Amino acid sequence: MIIEVRRAIASLVILMVFSPALLAENADAQQDGAPIDVMGKVTNHDYFELPWGKVYLPRILYSGGEMYFYSSTERALESGEFIAEEGAGLVRYDGEPITMDLSITSHLIYVWFSLIVTFIITFLAGRKYKRGIGRDIEPKGALLNMFEALFVFIRDQIAKEFIQEDKYEKFVPYLYTIFLAITLMNLFGLLPWAAAATANLTVTATLAFITFLVTQVSGSKDHWRHVFAFPGVPKWALIILTPVEILGLFTKPFALAIRLFANMLSGKIMIVCILGLIFVFTELFGAAIGVASGIFWVLLTVALYFLKALVALIQAYVFTLLSGVFIGMAVEEHHHEHEETSVAHAPDVATQHN
Amino acid sequence: MSYIAAGFGAGIIALAAAFGIGMIGKSATESIARQPEAAGDIRGAMLLTAVFIEGVALIGAIVCIILALGIGQ
Repeated sequence: MIIEVRRAIASLVILMVFSPALLAENADAQQDGAPIDVMGKVTNHDYFELPWGKVYLPRILYSGGEMYFYSSTERALESGEFIAEEGAGLVRYDGEPITMDLSITSHLIYVWFSLIVTFIITFLAGRKYKRGIGRDIEPKGALLNMFEALFVFIRDQIAKEFIQEDKYEKFVPYLYTIFLAITLMNLFGLLPWAAAATANLTVTATLAFITFLVTQVSGSKDHWRHVFAFPGVPKWALIILTPVEILGLFTKPFALAIRLFANMLSGKIMIVCILGLIFVFTELFGAAIGVASGIFWVLLTVALYFLKALVALIQAYVFTLLSGVFIGMAVEEHHHEHEETSVAHAPDVATQHN
Repeated sequence: MSYIAAGFGAGIIALAAAFGIGMIGKSATESIARQPEAAGDIRGAMLLTAVFIEGVALIGAIVCIILALGIGQ
């Protein structure tokens, strides 16, 4: 068994070494432009790429007070209402700007995919728990065991650790959902034809914005007191401290968005660039050295690929962890200074969230 | 000019981030060696601190990319 697996991996590596090298020889012949579109591998597109071809996605455009629906970019061009412009995408034929581009794009499809998969996993597991499997008896089957391991990990290692003892429970579902959804979005980026939706700043900014909302809505009175009137400092210091604290509210989700975005963007670019070195070597020293060096670059790519799989999980964990930390900081109540009032605060914080 | 700025910026970011994460790694390994039973807690704290440094470094890197690509000029 192990020998067979080893043999399969070895032949896969050999195949991967030679297929880009063969492509490189072809690229040598046709000199028009770069052989690989590096940024195209990670950016958003108006088509959905599958191993056997492209599926064009609908365009929904709002311009000049009217909505336009087209089944693809090509249809939009055929209708004559829109023309393609270099570097700007679609524009109206009479120069009117597109107010809102609500088109369905490839990254959006991956976001939907991961949300649907998250929903299905959770729904199936939840249905089993309702029937009593896992509550009355031990969890059965791969799905339930994996679900329970993940859920307990999020609850014990993130929620319980960083959020106050009596309040962590209502945040566990949110933390669990973003962890699973971000993990799936990141892992989609490992497929050669697919793209990680989290390599798009819009997606990560939206996720961070949700965390921001949850944090602020569930913030305790102590959280707001710390922002607007930091306790225990002289009054004149508040002139400096309050703007810094208000800025701090926004830099936290900003850093959250940038971190996930930059990490997921760099992974695929790095892999494509290192594979691109085969083409560079072929160009510089001829096909023979290009093919020979390919063995080295492909092995490096395989190592990077495993690193990327690891990074996908770590970044999802980090996003969830920091969400938990920020929520924990916001809902925390300080017992040391207002011993008698903080007890009275507790019930209205709970109602504030609902 | 902006290329020079971006190059120097990226270098300084790498230096600073490497220094910060190196300090974390140093003290974390020392603590684990001294108290191996607390390895789990130390690893969590290490990751959290490293992540904060990474966040700042990445914001710097984004500024360098913006400089190098000449966005906003």
